[in-house]
Amino acid sequence: MRVIFRGRLAIRQPGRTVYPGMQRFRFPVGRLPDEALLSGLATGDPELAATFVRRFQHTVFGVAIAVLGDPQLAEDVSQQTFERAWRHAQIYDSRRGSVTTWLTAIAHNLAIDVARARRPVPVAPEDLDTLLDVVTDTATPEQLALADEASAALRSAVARLPREQGRALVMAGIYGMTGQQIADVEQIPLGTAKTRIRTAMGKLRSTLVSPKRGDHG
Amino acid sequence: MGNDVTCEQLREIGAELALGVLPGRQRAGAVEHLDRCADCREYIEQLTLVGDGLLGLLPGSEPPAGFETRVARRLHQAAAHDDRSRLHGRGLLPRKGFRSRARMRLAAAAAALALAFGFGGWTVGTVLSNEAAAPSRPAEVGAGMLHAQLTTVGHGRGPVGEIYLHRGPPTWVYMSVDLADAGNMYGGKISCVLVHKDGSTVRVGTFTLHHGYGYWGAPASVNPTTLSGARLTSADGTVLATAHFGAG
Repeated sequence: MRVIFRGRLAIRQPGRTVYPGMQRFRFPVGRLPDEALLSGLATGDPELAATFVRRFQHTVFGVAIAVLGDPQLAEDVSQQTFERAWRHAQIYDSRRGSVTTWLTAIAHNLAIDVARARRPVPVAPEDLDTLLDVVTDTATPEQLALADEASAALRSAVARLPREQGRALVMAGIYGMTGQQIADVEQIPLGTAKTRIRTAMGKLRSTLVSPKRGDHG
Repeated sequence: MGNDVTCEQLREIGAELALGVLPGRQRAGAVEHLDRCADCREYIEQLTLVGDGLLGLLPGSEPPAGFETRVARRLHQAAAHDDRSRLHGRGLLPRKGFRSRARMRLAAAAAALALAFGFGGWTVGTVLSNEAAAPSRPAEVGAGMLHAQLTTVGHGRGPVGEIYLHRGPPTWVYMSVDLADAGNMYGGKISCVLVHKDGSTVRVGTFTLHHGYGYWGAPASVNPTTLSGARLTSADGTVLATAHFGAG
């Protein structure tokens, strides 16, 4: 693929490959900022694409496996995520969030699509409790190293939620379940399910001291 | 919930909207409300941050061995498909290309994203985009949709884009434009004008082309049954392309 960068816009030009933005980088591609790597992915440059995948595969696959629980499906979703990122790199807008947040959202939506297609209710109760524990447990050293203050505050806030609200939050926010599906699983009225989602989200919202988008690590 | 969602109602359903789990009809009403209410947009934006943050709490996980290689192969194949489809567009190969479908998916997604980002973050945006662009529902043209190809005016150079009009309610217009296929690298604002069967017109929005390419989408207050087609016009009123709706 032949591409010229002009600002954030990748422009195909036959016969030559020019990366004006990239030429300014005088250090290994592994140290390129996320946005630059994303732009590199769009060019089809094998080295930049490989570096991009290597940098984000852990996060993308983590989201997919959390939602789907099936390594094969999770891999397929992860591959689709990177393909979609490649196709949509030109519309990525850093003002809206980090590359990590963007990729996470893509992977999450693809995974939910797959989960919904596979079974009417995308989560078994035991999986739900396990995932809620994972989300609320003390972070691993790796997560602590990457996490910022907002992320830590959010994790604490989720841990403080009443269990039934935490379950509703995970079902809606991670498994993509509707209020009706949550009501069915929990055997509660629809209104109660909606209230649990709303109340949980309201509490978490109040923890956003400094709403800096996409910096949750 | 119809087209008259109040702020109070929006606050009731905002969490579900931000998490992407609000049923379609309610979502349409909510999105329309957000289009005109800055306070609620900010509210949803904050909730969207919460949703994004929740996903950020998920632990990473190493994919199976060889994943990187398989992704590289997949991207290579996709690029090869695109290149082949570019040849289709030039008439060098039979036309029925991947690229137009991919572009339409991209365009629909991008159009929804562009709208969604007026009030929210990735979660809302990608949820909306999935409605138009999910892999299981690629660019369908059914009873709920009008579709037409955009063609250049006067030169007979063939299609330069597509327009989709979702009957709704609310009615939505999505379009993808690639004038570069006809050698026109126009850049700048263009208007989407819908044409009624009686010849009257209504401008439903403007967007920007870069080097002939752009995509756009928006809700439109029109009755789809009265429409015959659409025009794309430049800032000085020049008609760049036209489309005629067939049976939906």
